[in-house]
Amino acid sequence: MEDRLKRQRRGWLVSYLWSAPSLALIALIVVFPILYTFFISLTNMNVYHWFDYTVIGLDNYVRALFVFDSGFLSALINTVLWTVVNMAIQLVLAFVLASLLNIRKLRLRKLYKTLLMFPWAMPGYVSILLWKTGMFNSEFGLLNQWMEALGLEARRWLSTDVSAFICCTVVNIWLALPFMLMIMDGAMQSIDRSYYESAVLDGANWLQRSWSITIPCIRPIIAPAVIITVFTTFKQFDVIYLLTQQMGAKTGSGLHTILTYAYENAFITNNYGYSSAISIIIFLLLLAFSARWQPGGEGEK
Amino acid sequence: MKRTITLLLVLALLVPLAACGGESTDTGRLVVWHDKEDAVIEALSAYLTQAVPEVEVVFEKKTSLTDSLKLVGNDPSSAPDMFIFAHDKVGVFAEMGILADVRPLLDEGVLDGWLPMTLEAATYKGTLYQLPLYFETLLFMYNKRYMQDEQVPATTEELYAYMEQNTGRGRYGFVEQHSTAYYSAAWIHGFGGSIVSEDGVPFPEPEAVKDALRYHLKFVALMPGETEYSTVNTLFLEGKADATIGGPWMVPSAREVGIELSIAPMPVVDETGEALAPYSGVQGVQVLRFAAEDKAEAVKAVLSALCAPQIGIDLALASGCAPANAACYDDAQVADDELVQAMRSTAEIAVPMPNIPEMDVMWTVVSNLLTDVNLSGADVDAAFDEALSEAEGLIANMK
Repeated sequence: MEDRLKRQRRGWLVSYLWSAPSLALIALIVVFPILYTFFISLTNMNVYHWFDYTVIGLDNYVRALFVFDSGFLSALINTVLWTVVNMAIQLVLAFVLASLLNIRKLRLRKLYKTLLMFPWAMPGYVSILLWKTGMFNSEFGLLNQWMEALGLEARRWLSTDVSAFICCTVVNIWLALPFMLMIMDGAMQSIDRSYYESAVLDGANWLQRSWSITIPCIRPIIAPAVIITVFTTFKQFDVIYLLTQQMGAKTGSGLHTILTYAYENAFITNNYGYSSAISIIIFLLLLAFSARWQPGGEGEK
Repeated sequence: MKRTITLLLVLALLVPLAACGGESTDTGRLVVWHDKEDAVIEALSAYLTQAVPEVEVVFEKKTSLTDSLKLVGNDPSSAPDMFIFAHDKVGVFAEMGILADVRPLLDEGVLDGWLPMTLEAATYKGTLYQLPLYFETLLFMYNKRYMQDEQVPATTEELYAYMEQNTGRGRYGFVEQHSTAYYSAAWIHGFGGSIVSEDGVPFPEPEAVKDALRYHLKFVALMPGETEYSTVNTLFLEGKADATIGGPWMVPSAREVGIELSIAPMPVVDETGEALAPYSGVQGVQVLRFAAEDKAEAVKAVLSALCAPQIGIDLALASGCAPANAACYDDAQVADDELVQAMRSTAEIAVPMPNIPEMDVMWTVVSNLLTDVNLSGADVDAAFDEALSEAEGLIANMK
C-alpha cells in the first residue's frame, strides 16, 4: 500500500519535472507579465518618476475609470459588433471553402490550399499597409482605378465610420481566414466517409448532409479555434490602427475598438502606472467575456 | 537517448537567459546608439577613427531607440554611452534622469559659433542636454518643369491662385501632408500661434490656431483627401504635383527620378505678414549620465572632436545635412550646396520642435484636430474646444 503511494508520488513528481521547462517558459512569458503589469498599475511609474517610482495603491484605478466614458462605451459596442461580424463571416466562408476543398476528385487541391494559406505567411503589418496603399488609397488604389474605369467617381474608402468598418473587416478576414480554413479542412478530413455514403443512399442533399453530419462532427474540433479567434478578433489592434489611425496618416474615420481607444487616451501619455491599470481592467473585461462566451463544454452535445 | 535530448533542450533554453548578464565596462570604448541613415554614420565613423584614434567608438543602429532607452537607460551594462537622436525627446529623457548636462563636458566658448536655433532646441529647463550636429527643416520645393521661377508664390494667396489654376484632372498645383501635425505647424506658426507653450500649456494662442485652421481649409480643398507621407511623395515624384513642402530627405529620391527640383523660401501669410514657419529637428549627441561619470575622458575627447567644423562639412557633403556649427558654411563646397543653404536660411524662421514631455501627447491631439477639421468637415470652434480639453486631460494624466 505504502509502496504504491510512493510510486504514485514519484510518478507525479517526474511528470512535473519533465514539464518544468515548458511550465517555466509559460510562467515567464505569460504569467509574469500579467503579474508585473498589475504591480506597475499600483505604482506612479511615469516620465517624472521613471526609475524612482513608488507604490501609490489604487489611485490609478480610480483615474482609469474616467477613461471608461461614453467614448469607451461606444468603442466597446464597436468591438463586440466587430467580433460578431468577423466571426460570423469567417465561419461561413471557411466552412464553404473547406467544403469545396473536400469535394472528391478535386484537381489541383494542393495549389488551392497553398494559395489560401498565403495571407497567413505574410507578416500582418506588411499585408495591412499593402491593402491600405494598394487597394484603398484614394489616389493610387486599385479600387478607385476600377471606379474610374467604370466611369464612377473616385471616393475615400476609409473616411467614414461605416466604410472604414467594412474595409477593416475585409482585411481582417483576409488575414484570419487561413487559420479557420485550415482547422475546418483538417476537421472535415477526419470525418468517416461512410456516413456520407449512407446519407447519399438515403437521398440526403448537400445541405442536409452538411447540417446533420459535417457540422456536428467538426464542432468539437473547431471549438478551440473559435475561442482563439474570438480572442484575437476582440483584441485586434493592428488592422484598425494601421488602416485608419496611424500617426500622420489618419483617414477621418472615428472608428475605435477598446484597444485603439485606450491607446489614444492613455498609452500615449507615457504614464505606465495609469496605462497598466487600464490594461488590467481590459484584461478582466476580456476574461469576463470569454467566460460568458465559452461555446459549450465537452459534456454538451 | 530521449532523456539526453530533453536535458540538452532544457540547457539550450537556459543558456540565453544566463547570457543576459552584464558586460564589463571598458573606459576606452564608447557605444553610440542611433537611428540615422548609413551615409551619416559612415561619415561620423570615418571622421572619429581619424580624429580620436585612442577611443573606440561603436555605432549601433536601433530602430526603436526611444523605447529601448526607456527600458535600459539607467543600466550601464545594457545602455549605450551616448546616442544620436532628434532633440525633441530631450525633455522626456531629462525628466527620466538619464541624460548628462553636456556643457561641462565641452571646452569653454566652443558653442559660441553655433546657430542659436540649434542650441535653443537642445536646451531643456535651462540645461543643454545635446551637442547639436545638424538640423532639418521643411522646405518649399517645386518642379521646374511645371512651375516656372517667376510663378513661385511669394505669399499664400499667390500660392492659392496658382493651385486654383493648376489643379484638376489628376494633377495638383501643390500638395502637402495637410492633416499631419508636423506639417500643419508651419501654418499655425504663420498665424502667430503655437501647439504648446514652453511650460506645457496647450494652444497658448487659441485664436491664432483657429484662424490658421480656417484659412488653411481652402488649400485643403484643392489637395487630395488622403495626404500621408507616401501619397504626397509619390504625387510629387511622379510629376503629378508641381510643388510641395517636404523635408531634405525627399531630395535624393527626387534627383534620382530626374525631377528638376528647386527650392524657394516659404510663402508669407498675407494676413499676418509672417512666413510659414516649419518645425526644425536638431540631430545631435546626447550623453548618458553614467557615461559622463565613468568614462569622462573618452566622452570629452569625442565631443571635442565633434565640435570641429570638419565633421559638419563632411556631413553636409555626404548627406545634405545642414550643420549646426555656423563655421561650416564658410566652406566653399558647402556654400555651393543649394539645399544646405536653403535650410540655413530657413533656420532663421524655423521653430524648434518643442522638447518638453507634454509634446508627446500633443502630436496625437493636433492630428485628431486636423483630421476632424480637414477630413470630416467638423466646425473649427467645436473641434478646437474638444481638442483643447483632450490635450488638458492627457497632459494631466501624464503625471
